[in-house]
Amino acid sequence: MKTSLYASAAVLALTAGAAHSAAHLPFNPGEGDFSWDSYTSFADQYDLSGATVEITGAWTGNEKEKVDKVFDYFEEATGATVNYSGSDSFEQDIVISTRAGSAPNLAAFPQPGLAADMASQGLLTPLAEGTADWVAENYAAGQSWVDLGTYADPDGNENLYGLFYRVDVKSLVWYNPIAFDEMGYEIPETMEELKELTDQIVDDGGTPWCIGLGSGAATGWPATDWVEEMMLRTQPPEVYDQWVTNEISFDDPRVVAAMEEFGYFALNDDYVQGGAETVATTDFRDSPAGLFTIPAECYMHRQASFIPAFFPEDVVAGEDVDFFYFPAYEEKDLGKPVLGAGALFAITNPSEATTAMIEFLKTPIAHELWMAQGGFLTAHGGVNLDTYADDSLRAQGQILQDASTFRFDGSDLMPSEIGAGAFWSGMVDYVTGTPAAEVAATIQERWDSIQ
Amino acid sequence: MDQMAGQKTSLSIVTNISVVALVLIWLIPTIGLLVSSFRDREQISETGWWASMFPVEVAYRVSPEPEGVTQDGTLYTFSGNLFSASDEVSAQGSGDVSAFGITGRDPGAATPGQTFGRLKLVVSEPDGTTDEENYETSWPADGQPTAPETDEDGRPVQDFYIDRAVTVAANGDFTWVQDGEIGRAPTIYIIAAAPPDFGLQNYEQILTSDNMDRAFINTLTVTIPATIIPILIAAFAAYALAWMDFRGRGFLIAMVVGLLVVPLQLALVPLLQLHNKVGIGQSFLGIWLAHTGFGLPLAIYLLRNYMVGLPRDIIESAKVDGATDFQVFTKIVLPLSFPALASFAIFQFLWTWNDLLVAKVFLPSNSESWVMTVKIADDLLGSRGGDWGILAAAAFISIAVPLIVFFAMQKYLVRGLLAGSVK
Repeated sequence: MKTSLYASAAVLALTAGAAHSAAHLPFNPGEGDFSWDSYTSFADQYDLSGATVEITGAWTGNEKEKVDKVFDYFEEATGATVNYSGSDSFEQDIVISTRAGSAPNLAAFPQPGLAADMASQGLLTPLAEGTADWVAENYAAGQSWVDLGTYADPDGNENLYGLFYRVDVKSLVWYNPIAFDEMGYEIPETMEELKELTDQIVDDGGTPWCIGLGSGAATGWPATDWVEEMMLRTQPPEVYDQWVTNEISFDDPRVVAAMEEFGYFALNDDYVQGGAETVATTDFRDSPAGLFTIPAECYMHRQASFIPAFFPEDVVAGEDVDFFYFPAYEEKDLGKPVLGAGALFAITNPSEATTAMIEFLKTPIAHELWMAQGGFLTAHGGVNLDTYADDSLRAQGQILQDASTFRFDGSDLMPSEIGAGAFWSGMVDYVTGTPAAEVAATIQERWDSIQ
Repeated sequence: MDQMAGQKTSLSIVTNISVVALVLIWLIPTIGLLVSSFRDREQISETGWWASMFPVEVAYRVSPEPEGVTQDGTLYTFSGNLFSASDEVSAQGSGDVSAFGITGRDPGAATPGQTFGRLKLVVSEPDGTTDEENYETSWPADGQPTAPETDEDGRPVQDFYIDRAVTVAANGDFTWVQDGEIGRAPTIYIIAAAPPDFGLQNYEQILTSDNMDRAFINTLTVTIPATIIPILIAAFAAYALAWMDFRGRGFLIAMVVGLLVVPLQLALVPLLQLHNKVGIGQSFLGIWLAHTGFGLPLAIYLLRNYMVGLPRDIIESAKVDGATDFQVFTKIVLPLSFPALASFAIFQFLWTWNDLLVAKVFLPSNSESWVMTVKIADDLLGSRGGDWGILAAAAFISIAVPLIVFFAMQKYLVRGLLAGSVK
C-alpha cells in the first residue's frame, strides 16, 4: 500500500514536471510536420547543464519573442541557458562590447558587411572546419551562402565565419487582389507586361505605384533595392558582382542605366502616388498603406518579404493583399533573378555551448520552429516546407527555390560608407532631381576616396 | 506722463505677444504628442493629430451575404441593411451614408436615395454587327435609367439593360438587383462619417508589458546614486577650488572647464575596457561610476562659480573664530549653496533618467537589467520602429517622475542657475 502510494506520488511528480517543462513550448515535440528526428538526435548528443549562451542581435519586439521560442527548444534539449537580447542599435553595440572585451558568445548580424569588418579585425572566431562543405551541400544555392559568410581574418586568410539563418526575399510586388479584380488587371509575367500594366492603370485614371524611401537616418535604402533589382534584370549576374566589388565603377553606363530604369517608375508623376517629389519624404513603413485605401491610392508596391508587418492590422494575406514576383525582361533572357538578404550567426566569444548552438542552428528543426511562427524564410534544404505558417510564406519560399540566380542585397555587401551611406543619400539626390550620371559619379568619388 | 504710460503699454504688449508666441511654439508639439499617444499607428499615418478631433468621411467596403433573393424575370433582387451586414462599418460608421458606389475606384459615385448601377449598352458597329459595353450611371430610385444615344467612341446605342444596380438609403437600407443569379456576395462601397477615435491602448500596452516594473526600478537604481554621488564629490571639490589656496588651483579649474567640451562618446570603449579589467564589468556599480565621471565637470564648474560668489566676510569671520575648512564647508558654505546643489541635482537627474547610450554600454544587455529607455527603444518599438503611438505614450509615461522632481525643486532651479553662471 505504502509503496504504491510512493510510486503514484512519484509518477504524479514526474508527469507534473514534464507538463511544466513542456508548457512554455508552443509546439509539442513529436507532433506536427516538424523534423523532430533532428531534435531528438541533437538532444541525445549534448548535455550542457549549467552552461550559458549569451546572444545579441537586431531582432527586437515580436521577432525577439519568436527567436526566444526557438532558443527555448535548445534549452530544453541541452539543459543550457540562453540569454538573447535584441538591440535597436545592434551595429554600434556589438562593436563597443567586442572592443571592450565584454562580447556575447554569438551575434546575429542583420547583414554580412559588419561581420566582414569585424572578422578582419580579429573580433570573430571561425566556424568549425567542415561547416563550409555542410552549408554548400545543404543550403539551396549553397555555395553563394558560403561565399557570403566567408571573410578574411587580420592575416588575410579566408575562413567561414557566418551561418545564415533567416532570409528575406526582396523581389516581390505587393498588390490588392480586390482592386486588381475590379479593374480586370492581370498579374504581369514579364517586365514588358509590368510596364504595360503601369500605363494601363494611368489610362484608367489610377496611380500604379506606391514608393517611399524615408527611413530616418537610413533614408534612401528602399531605392538601392530597386536599383539592384534593375541591375539583375538588365545585366548578367557577373556584372552585378563586379559592380558590388567596384571592379566596374559606379558611374559605368550599365549602372547608370539601371538607376534610370528605377527612375522610369519613380520619377514619373503619373506613376507614383503623391507625385515623384514625395518619394523621398514618404516613410517606407507608411508607403504600402495606399494599397488598402478606398479608392486605392496605388495598385502596386515593391518591397521585401518583411513588409506585411507594416500593413494595417485588419489586412488579411491572400484576401486583401497578395504578391507576385517582380518580373524580368523577356527580351533580355536573363532568367528569373531573385534579390534577397539575410541574417547570419557568427561566434564572438567561443565556448562549448556556443559550438552546440551552431550545431543546433544547422538542424532543420531550428529553422522549422521559426517558420511555423511566421515571418521567416530559409534556404536550408532539409526543412519540411509544410511547416511554413501560411501559403504566402510558402509561395515566397517557392520563389526562392525557382530563382535561376540568387544575389544578395548589394548595398549590404559594399563597404558601409558606400552601401549604408553614399548610395542611400545618392538615391535621395536622384529622386529629387539630380541626374543619374552625376549621382553615380559622386558615389564613385566617395568609393575612390576610401580605397 | 501720458507718453511714458503709452510707451510702457506698447512695450508690455510686445512682451506679452512674444511670451504667448514662445509658449505656443513649445506647447503645440507637446499637445500633438499627447494627442498622438491616444491614437494607434494606422490613424497616425493616415491623418495629422490636428485633424483627429473631427469626424472624417471614410469609405467602407461591404459585402452583404445574399439572403432572401427574389426573382423577377432575369433580374434577381435582395435587400437588407448595410450597417447590420458589416461589423466594421457598424462599429465605426455613425449610421449615416453620405454617398455610395459599386467600384473601389469611385466609392462615392451616387448619393443616398438614388440607384447606381452598371448598364450593358448594346451598340452597333460600323460594319452592322452589335457589341455590348459597360456604362455606369445613377438615376432616381423610383425612376428608370437612361442611356446616352452614342457611346464614347460615337457608336449609336440601340438598346440597354441593367447588369447590376444598387439602391441605398441614408440609413443603410439597400436593394441589390442583378441580371442573372447572385453567385457570391456583391461588393458595395459606402462613404460614412467615422467619429473621432481615441483609446488608452498604447498606455495599456506599455504599462502591462513584461518587465516594465523591473525597468522602472532599474531606472531608479541607476538614477538616484548617479545623482547623489557626483553632487557629494563635486561639493567638496568646488569648495576647495573656490576657497582654499593651493598651488595649481587655477590650472585645475581650467582643466575642469576644458573637460566640459570633451564628448563622452570618446570615453565609452576605454572606460568599459577599464571596468572589465578591474572586475566591475557591466554592472550597476559601473554605470554609477560612469555617470559620476560624465557629470562631474559640469557639477564642479557650476558649484564652484556659485560658492565663489558667497560673501567673503562670512567665511573670513568664521575662520577668525577658529573654524576649520571642514567646518566652514559643512556649517556655512553647504547650507548657503543649497539652490545650486538643487539645480544641479535636477540637471543630473533628468540626464540620467533620459539616458539611453550610457545604459546600453555599461549595463548587461539581458532584459533583467533594462532601464526604461532601453525597454522602450528595443522592446516596445519593435524591429523596425514606426510605432509612433507607442513612442508618444512612452514619452508621457517616462516623463512623469522627472516632472514630479522638477516641480518639487523648480524654485531652486532658476535661482541656482543664475547665481552659478552669471557673474
